[in-house]
Amino acid sequence: MSSRGATAVLSRASRIRSKLQTALEATVLEVDDVSYQHAGHAAVKGSSDKETHFNLNIVSPKFEGQSLVKRHRLIYDLLADELQSGLHALSIVAKTPHETNPSK
Amino acid sequence: MATSLSNVFLKGIAARSLSRPLNGLFYCTRYSNTVSNDSDTHDDFKPGNKLEGSGICLSNVIEQDVKDNPVMVYMKGVPDFPQCGFSSLAVRVLKHYDVPISARNILEDPELKNAVKAFSNWPTFPQIFIKGEFIGGSDIILNMQQTGELKEKLKDITSKQ
Repeated sequence: MSSRGATAVLSRASRIRSKLQTALEATVLEVDDVSYQHAGHAAVKGSSDKETHFNLNIVSPKFEGQSLVKRHRLIYDLLADELQSGLHALSIVAKTPHETNPSK
Repeated sequence: MATSLSNVFLKGIAARSLSRPLNGLFYCTRYSNTVSNDSDTHDDFKPGNKLEGSGICLSNVIEQDVKDNPVMVYMKGVPDFPQCGFSSLAVRVLKHYDVPISARNILEDPELKNAVKAFSNWPTFPQIFIKGEFIGGSDIILNMQQTGELKEKLKDITSKQ
């Protein structure tokens, strides 16, 4: 069982989730594959890899005091390997826990 | 008069981007010493490595683009014919404001595409610069529109028209 698990190839979605959770200790982490919406997109024609577009919704205390540019840059840096191996685009919503509950 | 000049300039930029303007226009040795220190550029957005072969000259082109054009977009396609939903979204947001939009089509020049990524240390397109400052991509510009930040940032550009 464990050996079978160890040899399984993780999907890109799983790799993204794992990298972000490890680094950001997110309280909310939504990773949605929306590649189907971009099927036929000129820039990805011929790409054999189907997992090209993801929407990310992340809530993490690591974003405290960070501008939007810095938050997005942090996420792009964490996923640099994916962006170089077929990931085409990310839509990012990145908030701190406080921003999702402003009344507290 | 100002509007007319802006339109002429904008057409010039768009037209040039369609005819691979940078091809053959620049030649430089691998280790050029031409390095400009732009004190206005935030450390986060300064090019990390200026000795990247032909990229060095493109880096200078980008610095000039960003400095000369109050709103500069590196996108897939051109403002009147975007070739990517994200580039299209960014242009639609900017068109809400009465400002001249200058743009280069990074699909036409892979070296330009790589040079812009290195310049801003940002891996995706579109990339938007306002008054020399790197702003981000379509997510961020949309968010800024919603918060009113974008209107504030573009305010004095509009007033010069």
